[in-house]
Amino acid sequence: MRSLPPPFRLLLAGALSLLPPAVLAAPPAELSFSDFFAQPIGPRGLEPTAKLKAAEGREVRLVGYMVLREQPQAGRFFLAPRPVAMAEHADGEADDLPVSTVTVLLPESQRARFVAHQGGPLALTGRLEFGPAEDETGRVSWIRLHLAPEALAASASAAAPHSH
Amino acid sequence: MKTTLLLATLVAGSAAAAPTVTRLTPPSELFASGRADPVIARFLPGQRFDLQATVKPDAGQKITAARFFIDGKPVNATVALRDCASGCTKGLAAETAIATVRTVSSEVAGKHELSVEATQADGQKVTARGNFEVVPFTAAMGPKVKNIIILLGDGMGASQRTAARIVHGYAQGKALQPLAMDSFTATALVKTSSLNSIVTDSAPGMTSYVSGNKNNNNEEGVFPDDTVDAFDNPRIEYLSEYLHRTQGKQLGVVTTADVFDATPAGNAVHTSNRGAGTGIVDQFFDDRGNTGLTVLMGGGRKWFLPAGTAGSARTDTSDYAFSATDAHTAEITRRWGAAAGSLDKGRDLIKEFQSAGFSYAATKTDLDKADAARPLLGLFAFSNMNVALDKINGRRGVEKNGTGGGSVVEDFGLPDQPMLDEMAAKAIGVLKRSPKGFVLMIEGASIDKQAHLMDTERWLLETLEFDRAVRVAQDFAAEQGDTLVIVTADHECSGAALIGGSMVTDKALAELATKKGVANLRNSVVGVYEKAGFPRYKIAADGYPETTDIDYRLLVGYGANADRYEDWRTKKTPQRDVQQPFGSEAPLKWYPANAQERDDALGDYLVTGQVPGEQAVHTATDVPLSAYGPGALAFTGVIDNTDVFFKLAQAAVRGVVAPADTSGSKKPPKPKH
Repeated sequence: MRSLPPPFRLLLAGALSLLPPAVLAAPPAELSFSDFFAQPIGPRGLEPTAKLKAAEGREVRLVGYMVLREQPQAGRFFLAPRPVAMAEHADGEADDLPVSTVTVLLPESQRARFVAHQGGPLALTGRLEFGPAEDETGRVSWIRLHLAPEALAASASAAAPHSH
Repeated sequence: MKTTLLLATLVAGSAAAAPTVTRLTPPSELFASGRADPVIARFLPGQRFDLQATVKPDAGQKITAARFFIDGKPVNATVALRDCASGCTKGLAAETAIATVRTVSSEVAGKHELSVEATQADGQKVTARGNFEVVPFTAAMGPKVKNIIILLGDGMGASQRTAARIVHGYAQGKALQPLAMDSFTATALVKTSSLNSIVTDSAPGMTSYVSGNKNNNNEEGVFPDDTVDAFDNPRIEYLSEYLHRTQGKQLGVVTTADVFDATPAGNAVHTSNRGAGTGIVDQFFDDRGNTGLTVLMGGGRKWFLPAGTAGSARTDTSDYAFSATDAHTAEITRRWGAAAGSLDKGRDLIKEFQSAGFSYAATKTDLDKADAARPLLGLFAFSNMNVALDKINGRRGVEKNGTGGGSVVEDFGLPDQPMLDEMAAKAIGVLKRSPKGFVLMIEGASIDKQAHLMDTERWLLETLEFDRAVRVAQDFAAEQGDTLVIVTADHECSGAALIGGSMVTDKALAELATKKGVANLRNSVVGVYEKAGFPRYKIAADGYPETTDIDYRLLVGYGANADRYEDWRTKKTPQRDVQQPFGSEAPLKWYPANAQERDDALGDYLVTGQVPGEQAVHTATDVPLSAYGPGALAFTGVIDNTDVFFKLAQAAVRGVVAPADTSGSKKPPKPKH
């Protein structure tokens, strides 16, 4: 990952106070999408790197791009190493998401809410989870980032986004 | 007689309730509206299809028996009868009955009446009628074609074709180098509507060409039903299955999309849910004995990896397993000779393909080395393959738009992906060894996908890549003389319109983008009529433009667009986005009530869309179809997408009914490349 431009600031400073003391002692690990799996990808599945395995269950900081979805899901969004747009209505899971795409999960109490799409790079901090998980649409994610409550603005629109 | 019965029942129904037939399949206008025309369902002589009726009994009653009749004669086959205590669509009473007969066919040409008679426990009977047609083969004027190649430019309307030709260059109004598809000898205009909409999606768009029938959107090789099971619908035999069963032809499916996507699956897989990835790829493999599947190439490796392997997308919820005891699905296995399937997300499908004798290619290098004497599985990406523009930039080592300073394909971890023409050449190399011939579908998938995103340059290069695959197929057909090739689309996407040319250099365009707004990016840029002139792209030795960011470039507008920001330049993301300040200084925002709150374009020129949401959509506009090879001139006029199936089958089964070109020759003219 290239060095970050000056305006970058840690997003979730406030979240740290919620963490157990053992975790508090260690700052969030810097991770980049290219750290997740051995590259280039071999002939079969993905090979998780030692760095990914070490980050499992820990607080990490990731810089990526929010995927522009046609049919956003409540309580979650995708973060990818590069800007990607999806056309789920026509294409479903035949998509252009890189394999390192991370499913970002809002805190449990906010799973009914939609997060607005935001262009440009986003820095997110949260607890990293690795392993297969199927969501209610049947899509399997392999890497998930659990955000802390402070990640989200207090003022909110109740409106759900357009859906077909 | 049956009419009398029906009337008697209706009269009785006005006094007391009576059972009613709420659906009769195959679909017909006769059943739906009482009109005998148009006939909706049409089949080849002997082509297999299923019959089904949904019957609602009176409250407290149940349906005890159902019989189907064709032209008044009982259909002699097991009627599977089930109720709707579970597994039916919402709103259906539990006692609703679904009666099905699998694999019916007729050799008798012409219109047929289909009727069903259902009996309720109290002895009341109900009948309903519909119709279908068997389209006969006609006398041939030339020999049968051995091979059929269908080139499907997904979403490729006339605009996408024209745009690709303009990139090849024009001089004083004349094309410098026509597309390969321009040199096909016959062209028709195709009506693309699906069974349930003027605007089709890719599932019925494909299946109409290879089943002769209209399907609902999202459905592949099946008629709609009233159950939630995505794999139990009434089936229609595909061209691949019909020609494999009757002639021993092999099937090849090649795409730049994920291979489970609607267009590839719509040649071999029967499901009402185009999204059921695990079941779809399983069926490709398990029912290869029915389809003759010999080559399968594209992206979609995620569906072939066992659920425990990182990157796998296999789930039991997108899979299927037919009951061996419930006749409703057991008859699919028995009558169609189809696999029962099983909920086996842990299945290693790559390994199973290999054990069945297939070569497996994960890269272009593997593809080049693959033994043409063996069937071939190629899975070059985890979902869709990267698009031509990014693959070519990766090969050239230019336009390093990756986040890691490398190319986009390196970013994806898949730097060695083949181009579609390379895949097409290999597929033909394998399939031409089929002694009885083959059916090969080659899809340029991301013409559509990039048009959805209104990413002009990316769908432009997809169309150029697709045309190179067209050329490979045409050259093979020219050499063989026994191969019929069609190139068409399933539908148009995005309402693309070639509105003119830029009036400025690329440098000036970039500067105007920094000045922002409609005055700079529209009024100063968009050259219409003679101000468009002739954009001059330079084609490199690899067949693609040296750059798409030329001075005085081609400009494309969108008629089926969502709101979009436009700066006319090739999307080089993420470089462009990196120049923006980080979006995350403030906490993430909830979804705005107003969709206009999107912020992504530096140029600040918002084009308001006619469709809601984020993406451009498919349109109902007719699409061109061009044909090359023996019998090509049968493909003229304004035709229905389902007509194409009958023309292809006629050529393969009985022989061609038209010359190859207007000279009257039975052999196609040599292409002038």
